[in-house]
Amino acid sequence: MLLRCRVPLATFDLDVGVSFDARVTAIFGPSGSGKTTLLDAIAGLREIAAGEIEVGGKTLFSSARKINLPPQRRNLGYVPQEGALFPHLSVRRNILFGSERNSRVTDAKMMSIEHVLEVLEISHLLQRSVTELSGGEAQRVALARAILSRPQLLLLDEPLAALDVGLKEKILPYLARVRDEFGVPMIYVTHNITEVLALADWVLVIRSGRLMAQGLPAETLTSSRALRAIPEEELENVFTVEFIDSDKPAGRSRVRLSSGAEIFVPYLPVSAGRTLQVRVRADDILLGTQRPEGISAGNILPGTVRAIDIVDDQALVRVDAREIFCVRLTAGAVIRLALRVGSSVFLIIKTRSFRIL
Amino acid sequence: MIFSADTWQITLFSISVGLASTLLILPFGIILAWLFARKEWPLKSVVETTVLLPLVMPPVSTGLILLKIFGRRSPLGEWLYQRGFEIVFNWKGVLIAMAVMSFPLLVRSVRTSFAEVNPRLEQIAASLGASPLKIFFVITIPLAYKGIVAGALLAFSRALGEFGATILVAGNIPGRTQTLSLAIYNFVQLGKDADAYVLLGITVVLAFSFVWLSEWLLRGRQNA
Repeated sequence: MLLRCRVPLATFDLDVGVSFDARVTAIFGPSGSGKTTLLDAIAGLREIAAGEIEVGGKTLFSSARKINLPPQRRNLGYVPQEGALFPHLSVRRNILFGSERNSRVTDAKMMSIEHVLEVLEISHLLQRSVTELSGGEAQRVALARAILSRPQLLLLDEPLAALDVGLKEKILPYLARVRDEFGVPMIYVTHNITEVLALADWVLVIRSGRLMAQGLPAETLTSSRALRAIPEEELENVFTVEFIDSDKPAGRSRVRLSSGAEIFVPYLPVSAGRTLQVRVRADDILLGTQRPEGISAGNILPGTVRAIDIVDDQALVRVDAREIFCVRLTAGAVIRLALRVGSSVFLIIKTRSFRIL
Repeated sequence: MIFSADTWQITLFSISVGLASTLLILPFGIILAWLFARKEWPLKSVVETTVLLPLVMPPVSTGLILLKIFGRRSPLGEWLYQRGFEIVFNWKGVLIAMAVMSFPLLVRSVRTSFAEVNPRLEQIAASLGASPLKIFFVITIPLAYKGIVAGALLAFSRALGEFGATILVAGNIPGRTQTLSLAIYNFVQLGKDADAYVLLGITVVLAFSFVWLSEWLLRGRQNA
């Protein structure tokens, strides 16, 4: 997918030129950085001064060749931030609104209506009025509507931003299921690092309409350039883990990271073999140069320092403990411990510092 | 029956021509209101102002303009007359006067309700593949339904109350162009106060019904 466009805005020109090919591409940046504008430009809902937009080999817009497909013919599924369900139509009619578009396409993607409803767990809502839905339900209905229009690309604009924290964590797995079940590429706009790490294969960091960095999420979001774009943002590590066993009295569960390393997370009553995502804040990881003894923390992982980025008074240390962990320290701690690339260290993480997604 | 045949005739005539006038202007009003609310085009403000003129101009002035446009001595009036259409001094004149006088009220009301429809919904419908026509009929019109009904009722009420333009374009001919408003005026002039009061009562009942009906429709829609 090729994206090169310039969109004049009130305070700055959105100017992005990038080419990428990933299942889920996150566009990450603070509010007001032009993320929604970019999606609108791709969807053909906003005028572009100059540039070129190409999705799956099909040119949607080209100022040089004077091509500007109307939104109807771009074949994209747009889920805007507010959901934008049609308030006068039932859930069923909302969901089926775009389904005529590609009804002749018989694809092997299993995008039957029943299957989509099942994956998003909204079958029971069909007869409801849209106004009776909760925030999380409305987002899933909007997602189903977009998927059932059988788009060649899904555009998701902060689908979790309007939800409260508890609900966010419930919807995130649905997005992961959409990614895994339907094979539709997605562009996912967010200002939340956890969402990027949990869902995306590729990330574009934009700020004030400019592309600051792009690359693999875990690396890019911990780079100093990305941090400059989002200094106030909370930094987290997200891992996909396989559940091994649980010890209820001890209050903890044992899980295996994809590298094979095992860690303890807070107790969860799920069956062995189930995969989950867990996260831990970069601020919640201690770093020692010797193996500590007599402490309460459940996870002590040996590793090697791979990179140190100092941004103002903070230091971001990337440690390879069979899995890359990003640790945020004060700049002074790096000096006190005499950390450098290649240093052997121990990561100390409380069991309860891990959160289940 | 306490009403005379004349009273019935006048009432039915007013209602049917008023209804015809409202139905006649409804499609034009909706399209124009949509063009005002959603599109930018050259001379838009000039057209907007012109459409609103009958609302602020003395109705008699509007009537005089219509008489000059449709009268048999005007090019248009002559052209129509030669093809068997005579507009002035018959029911068609009443219709034209009512239509022109109530049009601005319809357009204003519908325009406001179109402007209140979130354009984002129309954009998303477009990105889901809906044609402009489908968006208009499946999204915009149903969401603006309240304002369209309210505008139509307002236009109908205004049509029934029309006086100044009607009397110039259609005259005040009993049994041919006499509406409720014209008849009340006529009876009062002739000192037939009792007859005027009967018609007055009818206008009050009609007005009450329409206001009540529009309120009921709007309430019903909210509960739906």
